[in-house]
Amino acid sequence: MSVRPRSPRALGWLITGLGLAAGAALWEIVGRETGAAFMAPLSETLLRLAELAHTGELWQALASSLALFGAGFALSVAVGVPLGLLLARMRLLRIALESYIAILNATPIAALIPFILSLMGFGFAPKVLVVFLFAVFPILYNTVEGARSIRPELIEVARSFRSTERALWRDVLLPFVLPFALTGIRQAIGRALVGMIAAEFFLSASGLGMMLQSASQSFDTATIFAAILLVTLLGVALMELGGALERRYAAWRNIRT
Amino acid sequence: MSEEAAAICISVRNAGKRYDALEVFAGIDLEIGQRQIVALVGPSGCGKTTLLRSIDGLIPLSAGVIAIDGAPVTEPRTGVAMVFQHFGLFPWKTVYDNVAYGLRLAGASRRELGEKVPYFVNLVGLRGFEAAYPYQISGGMQQRCGLARALATEPSVMLMDEPFAAVDAQTREILQFELLRIWDMRPMTMVFVTHSIEEAVLMGDRVVVLKGRPSTVFETVAVDLPRPRNRQTLGLARFNELREHVWSTLMDEARRAEFSVSG
Repeated sequence: MSVRPRSPRALGWLITGLGLAAGAALWEIVGRETGAAFMAPLSETLLRLAELAHTGELWQALASSLALFGAGFALSVAVGVPLGLLLARMRLLRIALESYIAILNATPIAALIPFILSLMGFGFAPKVLVVFLFAVFPILYNTVEGARSIRPELIEVARSFRSTERALWRDVLLPFVLPFALTGIRQAIGRALVGMIAAEFFLSASGLGMMLQSASQSFDTATIFAAILLVTLLGVALMELGGALERRYAAWRNIRT
Repeated sequence: MSEEAAAICISVRNAGKRYDALEVFAGIDLEIGQRQIVALVGPSGCGKTTLLRSIDGLIPLSAGVIAIDGAPVTEPRTGVAMVFQHFGLFPWKTVYDNVAYGLRLAGASRRELGEKVPYFVNLVGLRGFEAAYPYQISGGMQQRCGLARALATEPSVMLMDEPFAAVDAQTREILQFELLRIWDMRPMTMVFVTHSIEEAVLMGDRVVVLKGRPSTVFETVAVDLPRPRNRQTLGLARFNELREHVWSTLMDEARRAEFSVSG
């Protein structure tokens, strides 16, 4: 029995598949050898996942988490990109804000959660704020970097062809900044997911965070791992989406012209 | 042959440019007739590219006036198009969209674009590459695209900023003859900045030599070579005479510049 992959690419897939299968097998074995209170085996986790899907609990939690993620993430894009452009084009604004931005960026946002709680309570808004704070900085920093690295000769070309200011933004500045912003957006996806779970843990419990928390209180490791698996899959899917967007719109950036 | 071009197209009067303490050029007078080609040569830092940008209205003069068709230049105007040494193509636009750029800014209709863009893409020999991005084509092809972008606006004045300096020697020769061929089809006023004396003599009706600190017009050499010009032109005895003449005019300055520390 010989496996002959037709191309290096197929070989890569094969190795990846084998690696995942080995991990799954290891999970199953360790789960079976140790007690259920320590770690549920993969089979039991998947079974629980199906059960949760069947009762609708899973979809409810997922929808609640995604709403939080979506709101916070959308807000961070809506603020991060325009603010980044403004900071790059307006020197005084940059000088005024850059120390605050640097401080906030260095602060572990999780440490701010008690303050946000006392300030804003347990509603949806404080949780959105937490996701926003986790996600906004990579978007902001990458956009600023992009807007500041615009090649002046391209602006000169636009001027030579009598471009209006509006057309300059449309034809030159925004297309130039887009791939940088997308890099920031891709990085922000992972951080927004961390923010989402943190907000669901420490502010009013909801969604997948609540599912994790209540399962861990009852040592229900099957549900814990089901929720972890779900969050992981969600993260992988969203980052793939971000990466695909980046490849689509940033193809020109990685090649010298 | 310059006698026939009676109408003055570009007039530069007493033009000067300084950056703080550095005076780049001063007292430059230049008159260019319609459909004439003037080549500007001079040592590095003599301000020939700056002068070209001033003619385009991109850089204001410190002294003097530049007028095109009698109207003083204060900003880039229609009917004047520039071809850049660095090509200046937008890397996120296809060849088609790069060529269409100037036309779109000028408010061309969809129908107009549909007629003109393919025509000029074809004229510079880029047919079949409309959907390619700049990074997918060679430097020579990129400059063909830059040329088509300028030509597509159907300018009466073309400003050439060392257009072939960034491509390899062979491609450069090919592009020179391509440009001459296009000019023979659609003659227009052209200011051609170059480092290459050969290129200056091949292209120009006149070669204007800028020299000195601040630089000024040191000599104007009338190039009495017949048109159309092509590969055969390079073989003419007169071509070599003119090339030698311009070379010796520039040489003293070049030698001095090479050994001066100030640059």
